Amino acid sequence: MSPRMIAFRDNVEGVLLACAGLLQQPDSELLCAKNRDDLRSKMEFSGAGYDVTAVGFRPTADCSVLAQQLLGKRKGRMSGRDPDVERYIGLVLRHSSCDPAGLVRFICSCEGNADMLYSGKTPTGKRYYNYMRDVSRSYHRLSMFARPDLVNGILTVRTDSPHMIGDMFCRWLSGKNPDLPVAVLENGTVWIGNGRYLGLENFTHIRSFLLESLSFSRGPDDIDGLWDVYYDSQMIPGRRNKKHAQHLQPKSSSAISAMSARDRYKVERGISNCTLDSFTD
Amino acid sequence: MTDAHPANEHHFTLNERMKILSEGTKYDSCNQSAVCHAFGPDGRCIQLYKTLLTNACSGECTYCPNRCGRQSTRTSLTPEEIAKITWSFYRRNAVEGLFLSSGIIGDAERTAEKQLEVAMLLRGQGFTGYIHMRVMPGTPLYLLEEIADYANKFGVNAETTSSVNYSEICPNFDYTSDVLQRMKWTRDLINKKRREIGYGGRIVGANDTQFVVGALDEPDRDIIGTVDKFMVEYELRRPYFMSFDPVPSTPLEDHLASPKWREIRLYQTSYLLKDYGLKAFDFDGVYDDNGFLLDTDPKLLLAMSHPERFPVNVNSASREELLLVPGIGPVSANRILRSRPISSEKELMRMGIVLSRARPYIEINGRRQTSLSSFMGAGA
Repeated sequence: MSPRMIAFRDNVEGVLLACAGLLQQPDSELLCAKNRDDLRSKMEFSGAGYDVTAVGFRPTADCSVLAQQLLGKRKGRMSGRDPDVERYIGLVLRHSSCDPAGLVRFICSCEGNADMLYSGKTPTGKRYYNYMRDVSRSYHRLSMFARPDLVNGILTVRTDSPHMIGDMFCRWLSGKNPDLPVAVLENGTVWIGNGRYLGLENFTHIRSFLLESLSFSRGPDDIDGLWDVYYDSQMIPGRRNKKHAQHLQPKSSSAISAMSARDRYKVERGISNCTLDSFTD
Repeated sequence: MTDAHPANEHHFTLNERMKILSEGTKYDSCNQSAVCHAFGPDGRCIQLYKTLLTNACSGECTYCPNRCGRQSTRTSLTPEEIAKITWSFYRRNAVEGLFLSSGIIGDAERTAEKQLEVAMLLRGQGFTGYIHMRVMPGTPLYLLEEIADYANKFGVNAETTSSVNYSEICPNFDYTSDVLQRMKWTRDLINKKRREIGYGGRIVGANDTQFVVGALDEPDRDIIGTVDKFMVEYELRRPYFMSFDPVPSTPLEDHLASPKWREIRLYQTSYLLKDYGLKAFDFDGVYDDNGFLLDTDPKLLLAMSHPERFPVNVNSASREELLLVPGIGPVSANRILRSRPISSEKELMRMGIVLSRARPYIEINGRRQTSLSSFMGAGA
């Protein structure tokens, strides 16, 4: 009898189905693929001689039911910020260092106890919990400090995160701006939100060099000067707490956009009320 | 809009007007929406575009820089300008929405009409961000009802604790009818909107109000008592406190500024009322002889003034008893209840309990920190 292999798609559904398969056939090998083409090419390298079961490539499973069957119900969250099981898996899969097959094995090792995902009691559990937190933090950092520019009438942001969060951020930004097309550049890919305004699918992705050919009829909206005036007006000198401000607006996060970088500079140096008039009076 | 315009008067640019009117709101607290986007050099979070509609005010509030008759630069923004700036900041992900307050344009009704115009304009343009309106005392009910249709949060500032105090600092309005009645209407409208919209739709913020701390000699005991009363009667969720700073050319210019720590201690006490289930009378032993809070964490003072309540056994104490321990908050109390039995301090530390503060007040499996009094008692 030939050895078994479970080929699964690198999404929440794929991971959960692979877990279910691995629990039934614990000796199976695991193979992760982005899509069917990817699976085909990987099979050519390593699939020969295996009895392969492919899961997650067709959207059939109800993830919440699957998650409950595999891991049971969580007793309670240790942290208010902890997401549910499906979102936990979704976030871990986006981490740049994530090995999906390792994640499947870790979930199987939890033996039906969902709280093990969050407890950090084993080194592997701690590693995946930290992956989830890393991605979550990275996304929130982007939501706070990214400042989109209007380029050819499209709200455009370039992400600097090592994790794959461009699509998440694009969905969030396009939800906030339903009347404008949104483009989020992530490595060589551009995620497009509200693409209907550009004659594309509403949510899609294209290669980055194609972005220049897209435009939407809306003039530039240069507000950098206005923002600086507003930002400066909100400072209360008597309450200045530089350390606190530095902690809340970390240097690394502020490098995402020029506007955030200018704000951070003022956090560091304060706002000078010295003008040219001070020298001429 | 400015006061009388001589022919050669300087007309302010949009930048200049925006600067003047935004500075007028920098002391207003409004941190309510989900995402902070920027942090000022003073460390405070910037979530909303905060502005006054105008700083030309017909009110004579004694502490206010915009009071009628005071020599200062008066200006305003049109609803279209406010909408444009809000959109620009919002699109650039610099803010989550708008906080709109105003000087009183003639009367409260006219002011609320103008504020409503801004909200209607923004919503009409498809704005889905957060809108927080600070309405004036005396705003009519029909306008509050309309504002409730467009704003996520709205409310009136109480400023102080009683009619007598209010008439002293805000002589143009009546505390009972112009403020308390409006707070009651706001409570009813919020409940109505929440029933209509539910929690799936637009956020409907809870009732809130602001107090000016230190403009009068009212003690903290009165402020905490009023906050507690408002929480019961008007379902107040979030009181804001603004430290008084004397403004030149106002009747209170010679008064002393309120120390900043007082504002912090009042906020801490308000959280104890809001999230810990404590009542105003629980703090009776915490104030000084004049009814003022000390510059120490009120929860710590509360624990020190009731030594008979401690130590609490972390494995058998109720949630209410755990919440009285300094260093244990509502979240960590829940974690303790879920994680029992607890055998070591290390476990507590992992749950986020601040052990350095909690240690003198807790007991784990019969073990507790030795205090000087128990040590002397043992030796006697």
